[in-house]
Amino acid sequence: MAEEDPSLAAWMRAAQQGDGAAYARLLRAALPPLRRAARARWPGTEPALIEDVVQETLLALHGARHLYDPGRPFLPFLFGVMRFRGGDVIRRARRLSARHTAIDDLGETSAALATNSDSDQTLDAGAVRAAIARLPPGQRQALELTKLRELSLEQASAESGLSVTALKVATHRGIKTLRRLFHGSK
Amino acid sequence: MARSDMTTDRLIESLAAGLTLVRPLPSPATRLGLWLAVSLPAAALVALGFGLRPDLPTLLATPSFLLELVGAALTAVAGAYAALCAVVPDQPGWKLWLPLAPLALWSGTLGQQCLAVVLRIGPAGLVVQPDVMCLPAIALGGIVPALAITVLLRRARGVRLAHACFCGALAAAALGAAALRLYHPQDAAIMVIVWQLGSVALLSLLGTLIGRATIAFGPA
Repeated sequence: MAEEDPSLAAWMRAAQQGDGAAYARLLRAALPPLRRAARARWPGTEPALIEDVVQETLLALHGARHLYDPGRPFLPFLFGVMRFRGGDVIRRARRLSARHTAIDDLGETSAALATNSDSDQTLDAGAVRAAIARLPPGQRQALELTKLRELSLEQASAESGLSVTALKVATHRGIKTLRRLFHGSK
Repeated sequence: MARSDMTTDRLIESLAAGLTLVRPLPSPATRLGLWLAVSLPAAALVALGFGLRPDLPTLLATPSFLLELVGAALTAVAGAYAALCAVVPDQPGWKLWLPLAPLALWSGTLGQQCLAVVLRIGPAGLVVQPDVMCLPAIALGGIVPALAITVLLRRARGVRLAHACFCGALAAAALGAAALRLYHPQDAAIMVIVWQLGSVALLSLLGTLIGRATIAFGPA
């Protein structure tokens, strides 16, 4: 592997100190190698799903900043996060696509059936993920498990160690907080 | 700029805007040092509390006993190190399987002793008597190491949590078993395999389940 630009590790160290500008520079600089690595790991995957992997990786990286050893290069750490979080995203997408049934006869009329266009949903996905990243830890964890990763309450409970009731409460509160965030920002 | 790029760009802006300071986790080797600093005295205290075996000096000069003890102790150390490495995304996979080597040494030494007894006295060497002390004694010797590794893993809350919990529980139980060998006068290989290695296996599985329930993902 070619040696990475030392600025990346320096920006990550600054990000650990709370430097938002360095963090933004780091994430933007890391996007091209991250996309390349995702495409190489899951070849043939549609670009939208690769972008999902990229965004989920950035979110997971955000929650794992304390695990980065300032003395080590940054990209192996980022790719490590991508392997685990990206794997979740790809598995979830394949599970969902296995459940879908193709409908061939809708043709050009299908757009008329949509209440919101898909493009708007795609555009909002980043904002929703960003808002979830800013929730209190318990609410964020509950929403990530039950809504983003679409685990059942039992699966989410097994993974998180929280009771089903606690997850329900945290999910409910998380949705309320998100609603407040979005309505408050309008 | 493509639409997906715009969305990712918005995500980056949001993440950077809400950035807070985080304290980087010390390296796995440093955290292993912390774990040993807490766990070794605790296990030693349990052994001293029960009273060391009077024949311990003689046993420590016996290669098979020494190998078995070293195997158990190294399983504990390698297990804790593997657990602490497992939660960090950029740690190489081979570190996660380090405990297998000392575990093989430990169980292999016991298996070889067992085989020697069977060859010498026949099937009578495979008779298993009840020894109810082993499970609670190993659990007692492993309780502080288990709590210590839980605290260390809880602070990390990274990836490969199930693997980390299993290795951490194995480390705690192996240390409890090593301590047990210092005060419990039970040397029949088949008894050590069934009751001591068996207890370690059971406690490792139990510890994995409890660990996963205790160490939830959350903030740094």
